[in-house]
Amino acid sequence: MPVQKFRSIEEMNKAPEPSSQEPPFERFVRLCAQYWAIAPKQYPRGVFKFHSIEEAQKARLKHSSW
Amino acid sequence: MRVLRAFESAGLEYVLIGAAAMAFHGLVRATADLDFFIRATPENIERLRTALREAFQGDPEINTISSEDLLGEYPAVRYAPPTGNLYLDVLTRLGEAASFETVEAEIKDIDGTLVRVATPAALYQLKKGTVRLQDQADAAALRERFNLRDEK
Repeated sequence: MPVQKFRSIEEMNKAPEPSSQEPPFERFVRLCAQYWAIAPKQYPRGVFKFHSIEEAQKARLKHSSW
Repeated sequence: MRVLRAFESAGLEYVLIGAAAMAFHGLVRATADLDFFIRATPENIERLRTALREAFQGDPEINTISSEDLLGEYPAVRYAPPTGNLYLDVLTRLGEAASFETVEAEIKDIDGTLVRVATPAALYQLKKGTVRLQDQADAAALRERFNLRDEK
């Protein structure tokens, strides 16, 4: 199934992803490695402590475009 | 994988959430962080330090991850290892609603390493009420893929 055609973006979003022989977690690891190669992270090294997950997410936004 | 193997080797009681957990369920997107709840006990936090030392060559920063913090004022701790792009978000609780004990999980086997992963329904519950756009997108993808419905 090399080419799929859709009448709308909604129809496209509902379609199952093309099947892959690669297990999803391996695909995840490979995809992350590709992203990290394209956009290396600049998060400061070490241990950081937060009162809440919201605080942790704000800190992440400061250092990330993701 | 090195981190997940170290978790198993140390006997850490944890449950994987976030993008890595979604990947185990077939919803794959890139991320820079590994998010997980750990059981909030001093013994388990010592296992966490042991696992991280094994995975990251004894980085001395790991010694600053303390039970006092994770069991007290700081339920969220982020660890960015000396090298690489991945960082780890360790949680003992999320508000009053979620913790290691409350998040439904299943065991997945990846290359012989057993990984405790939040179920799609549990991930959906964690993500659906948040304000972060990425979480809302994740929640929508989980709802669609697994035909999840909100409880009344």
